[in-house]
Amino acid sequence: MMIDAILDNHLTQDGSRTDMTIENGQNIHDHNDHETTALQEFWRGVRDQSPLLVGVVPFGLVFGVLGVASGLSPLQTILMSSIVFGGASQVLFAQLWASGTPPVFVGGSVSIINLRHVLYSASVASHLRHLPFYWRVVLAYLLTDEAYAVSIKRFMERPDNPVKHFHLLGSGLLLWICWQTTTAIGVFAGVTIPPTLSLDFIIPLTFIAIVAPAIRNTAHVMACITSAVIAIFGQALPWNAWILLAAGGGIAAGWATLHFNGRRSRT
Amino acid sequence: MIWIIMIVTGLLTFWMRFVMFSGLTPRTLPRSLEDALDFVPIAVLTAIIVPAVVFTDGNTLAIADNTRLPAAIIATVVALLTRSVVMTIIAGLMALWTLPFIGF
Repeated sequence: MMIDAILDNHLTQDGSRTDMTIENGQNIHDHNDHETTALQEFWRGVRDQSPLLVGVVPFGLVFGVLGVASGLSPLQTILMSSIVFGGASQVLFAQLWASGTPPVFVGGSVSIINLRHVLYSASVASHLRHLPFYWRVVLAYLLTDEAYAVSIKRFMERPDNPVKHFHLLGSGLLLWICWQTTTAIGVFAGVTIPPTLSLDFIIPLTFIAIVAPAIRNTAHVMACITSAVIAIFGQALPWNAWILLAAGGGIAAGWATLHFNGRRSRT
Repeated sequence: MIWIIMIVTGLLTFWMRFVMFSGLTPRTLPRSLEDALDFVPIAVLTAIIVPAVVFTDGNTLAIADNTRLPAAIIATVVALLTRSVVMTIIAGLMALWTLPFIGF
């Protein structure tokens, strides 16, 4: 329903007349062989996203199991997947909540985890800034690690495609449906996953796959090491304050290294 | 209470995804802030990865007799070589499941 509404709306935006037919919409695109229709671009996003579901499906199941095990109700666990819609932050939220962390530290830690989305937002901004408000709201809500990763690639390959945002709609929506479904399955079927499989290990593995290739210079290495050391030695601190300290310390160490190197190379 | 934190967290998360094309912010960030943001994913995710690997049940630091450590190292190598989330998860889980049988 939602997709239909957005697709219809898009066709009317392409031309000035609101009674434009689908044939007219296709004629617009016939002018240029390179251009795909909105629907093609949508399915392209769905297709590009689908391999990543191999990691998302177990992650969603693990969160469903973990949420209930942390003392959240089934309803809270399931709704968190649509209210927050962020794997790392939801897992952290559940873990902190279970260990009795004060609400301010739960909110603070989850927010610092999600700060990386500002980067994604900045990165896609030039591709989405011209869109109507409701489009930007929907696409911002769907802007997860995985959706960003596959759609920014497409945006950069075809920056002039007027319907490129449908790619992010497709990749984001597939991920959203998958995340909601697997969370619910995890909540209700969770007890049947044998703990000896250690499926919770999928969470750090997913992050290793993001972090390892992202380390490209000395400043990145310093950020990584500093964060790791603080995370290990800060475990004894109250309120799980080590997360905020490790993340903040890592960012500061990376920034300081970058600026120290920069100054040295200029002189 | 939990509902309030959850909704506030959700709104904050949405805002971080929306802020740069909300039309309310300048088109470019200050240079030093942009530099700092570059380290956010590495610093933040490392802080989650490391304790999940080296602290086993009961919050005790485990270096020896901890299969997660070699499995995480193998996963890191695979991540660097393949840059694939799928391959990294497969390699890490395979290592975790099989290493105990070969003496780890």
